[in-house]
Amino acid sequence: MSVISLIAIIARRPVGLIGLLGVGGFLVMTYAVPLVVPPQSTVDVANVYRTPSLVHPLGTDFEGRDVLNQIIYGGRDIVNVALIAALLSTLIAVTFGSLAATLGGKVDTAVLTIADVVLTVPQLIVLIVVAALFRPEGFVLVALILASLQWAGLLRQIRAQVLSLKEREYVEAARSLDLSLFHVIFREMLPNMASYVAIHFIFAMTGAVYAQVGLIVLGLIPLSGANWGVMLYFAQSQGALYFSDSFWYILSPILAISLFQLSLVALASGLEDVFNPRLRVG
Amino acid sequence: MAAAIPAEAKIAATFDARQQLGTLWRHPVLRAALKAVLTVLVATTITFTLIRLLPGNPVDLRIDELTRDGAMTYEEARAQVAGLYAIELDAPLPQQYASFLWNVLHGDLGNSFLSRGTPVTGIILAVLPWTLFAVGTGLLLSFAVGIGLGLLAAYRRGSVFDQAVSTAGSIVSSVPNYLVAILLVLVLGVQLRIVPITQMRGAYSPGVQPGLSLDFIGDVLFHAALPITVFFLTHIGHWILSMRNATLAALEEDFVVAARARGLPDSRITTAYVGRNAVLPLVTQLAISVGFIVGGAVLIEQIFVYQGVGLRLLRAVAQRDYPVMQGILLLVTVSVVVANLVADLLYSRLDPRIGRAA
Amino acid sequence: MSLLSVRDLAIDYRSRRGPVHAVRGVSLDVERGESVAIIGESGSGKTTLAVGLIGLVPRSALVSRGEILFEQDGLPQDVLRMDPEDLRRFRWKEAAMVFQSALNSFNPVINIWSQFLDTARAHEMRDASAVHRKADELLDLVHLDPDRVLRAYPHELSGGMKQRVLIALSLLLGPRLLILDEPTTALDILTQRAIIDLLRELRARLGFAMIFISHDLSLAAELADRVLTMYAGRIVEEARVNDVFYRPRHPYTVGLLRAVPRVSGELGALASIPGTPPDLVRLPTGCAYHPRCPFAVERCRVEDPTLAPVDAPAHTAACLRWQAVAESVGTRRPAEAL
Repeated sequence: MSVISLIAIIARRPVGLIGLLGVGGFLVMTYAVPLVVPPQSTVDVANVYRTPSLVHPLGTDFEGRDVLNQIIYGGRDIVNVALIAALLSTLIAVTFGSLAATLGGKVDTAVLTIADVVLTVPQLIVLIVVAALFRPEGFVLVALILASLQWAGLLRQIRAQVLSLKEREYVEAARSLDLSLFHVIFREMLPNMASYVAIHFIFAMTGAVYAQVGLIVLGLIPLSGANWGVMLYFAQSQGALYFSDSFWYILSPILAISLFQLSLVALASGLEDVFNPRLRVG
Repeated sequence: MAAAIPAEAKIAATFDARQQLGTLWRHPVLRAALKAVLTVLVATTITFTLIRLLPGNPVDLRIDELTRDGAMTYEEARAQVAGLYAIELDAPLPQQYASFLWNVLHGDLGNSFLSRGTPVTGIILAVLPWTLFAVGTGLLLSFAVGIGLGLLAAYRRGSVFDQAVSTAGSIVSSVPNYLVAILLVLVLGVQLRIVPITQMRGAYSPGVQPGLSLDFIGDVLFHAALPITVFFLTHIGHWILSMRNATLAALEEDFVVAARARGLPDSRITTAYVGRNAVLPLVTQLAISVGFIVGGAVLIEQIFVYQGVGLRLLRAVAQRDYPVMQGILLLVTVSVVVANLVADLLYSRLDPRIGRAA
Repeated sequence: MSLLSVRDLAIDYRSRRGPVHAVRGVSLDVERGESVAIIGESGSGKTTLAVGLIGLVPRSALVSRGEILFEQDGLPQDVLRMDPEDLRRFRWKEAAMVFQSALNSFNPVINIWSQFLDTARAHEMRDASAVHRKADELLDLVHLDPDRVLRAYPHELSGGMKQRVLIALSLLLGPRLLILDEPTTALDILTQRAIIDLLRELRARLGFAMIFISHDLSLAAELADRVLTMYAGRIVEEARVNDVFYRPRHPYTVGLLRAVPRVSGELGALASIPGTPPDLVRLPTGCAYHPRCPFAVERCRVEDPTLAPVDAPAHTAACLRWQAVAESVGTRRPAEAL
């Protein structure tokens, strides 16, 4: 199915359309707009906490810097980490899930038990403790830590799917043709699991955003520069939360993060239409 | 002849043990209990690993700190740290692990670094009820209201009410809970000034005496109102949507039509026929939620300065009070495991189709 | 006055392609204590007709015209025009409907006794011990052990047992009419036998009227006084049971009879009716059966026949060529008919 027809199907329902526009918009803002708009980090104490105007559409922060500019640049680290974390956790889940299902026996039991334990452990608290112990600075490390807890849910789904597909005729046909296990998993079964994988990927991203921003707001990830989470961290730590003039400065990252999450969820909803033809309208 | 019999007896004996274990594994309740114990064991091991085995671990760091500037000898430092961590540092590693486990089983989680000599268990138990109160109330309220709204939305499928409730529910549940909290403070407290947030910080007002007085209870509710509201708002969406789907599925069932054919009044059908079937899987989800929500409560407690387990964890993190951190992590994991166990048991009791011979 | 009198009933379903005409002007009468069979293929509209009789059509369906008159205290009451509360009281007390093989007719999370009690309470029988006595009595009547059954949950009973319990429950309020939709489908052959015998026994003992709907002709032979065959939402033939089997006058009825393989006698070819049931959104012109009918002529494509009397008393058929059918079928000796 070509990308164009995929997008067309998703866009048919309002939810899907909103998801596409939202996620698309945020990706453009995070990666494309910075190529055109230069960052503004000059401190201008005379213009602290200005309300929105033509010059500063979202007002200014506690050091007079433009908020809109910070929002434009502030998504990059977060989206990068989310993408990497989601990719990693999906890879782990797909690989080990299908391996566990096809190999069975002790391997299966071991993988399943580990997955169950990881699912049970309270993620945010472990993340807090780990971040406190390791003080991660680079975003790759953060992504790794996040991914290390997220794979368990998808792994169980993939495993269940592979287990059921294992018995289907076309798999038997493929195996009787002496096609390798690798071929069977990746060429025959994966296309059927595409829906789970895609939707999980999106939710892994929302989870990564939630965890990241949470850790940043707590001050456990020492980042600098424009970052939605850091803006909130400063708001919290400087008591700007209780200061009525800083409203726009705080509201902007909240809106940015919330709208991004909402777009992701809407897109996932829209994707369900693609993979579940019975739900399609018309 | 005589030699054969003992061998046979041995085989018979092993077979017996295997069979017994097999029967144990097959019994659903016991299997769940075994899994629970295993998970706690793994959590304990991970905790132990984190603090003891990894390079740059807190134990060694603490010893370094204490022996810096010759303030203490290495042996003295070791002794002190050992006492704090409930670990014997001289023994070989497996034995250290064993005695750590032993201590944990006896409820000894070591002592806090900062409040010298205060057992971690005591610290946690002092703050845990506040978190459970806020989290529990918020969750129960969101469940009660959520399934009511979900049921109504299903009965009025396609109406404005349905669309409004479903959309609102999914939007609010997609926003991270700490952002909802900040928004509440921002909008209600700072901009609109309808809520006196500064007075609502903390679990209860400084002047009020703890006890079962109306004053105290009212005060507690006042302080817990905002956290409870946040938990309520961020969870209600899930209950609304789940109940709506479950109700729609139940309404399609043949036995609902058959009940109408018997002339049963709509009120009875909605509660005992549609409602009860729809809500069944959700009740177990509720039990499981309790376990997980404690994790998310951390940030909420910080924003509202609500002195529960979450806030205490953050303080321990800031002050590098590792025993407390480790104790809270363990405790929360155990509570999640227990919550899951309860959920499993609950489901098998509520649904007559499970656990009874068909 | 008949117990039940249906006049020109029409029920349509809403669909994306247009209204589906499931029931197209059905009229029938049922007298007190009489047993009527409605026989047809799936898609003939028979289940829609049945649920329509107690006003239980689904939300996507619409009764576009007709009356369903039920005699109450000597006066006819139109079921379609009853107010909701009266309709609710009417259901089960006057006419009880037993759905297809009871497999999913019970609430899975409450026990059988509660469901008996619910039914009783919905109809003002509040005395639990009286209900219990009646339940014991009825379960005995259907040859089940009341103690075991009342305490059980639905999933603990077999298909046949559930069907019996449902029949017992249907008699709880002493209805004068029992409507059964495919009462023996999905049951094994021994249980089918048992249920058929049970129904016959109960009717003899309690004297209720019965409408049962099936695709299974043998059921009609066993239990019916009168048989109506239904095709594409219309009654196409109505006659006493013997007349239907030995002297059918509508090609569809003949087709149904011929499709049943003979157990005794010579080996003959299995004759199924060629073609498929019609599209109820866009029906064929003229007679709905003509595309599949071996007796069809040019007139059949143009004229839509209504039920008209044929050559026997109380026997009607909706066929322009019924005389040709009569000639072809003749008057068979009883041994040859089935």
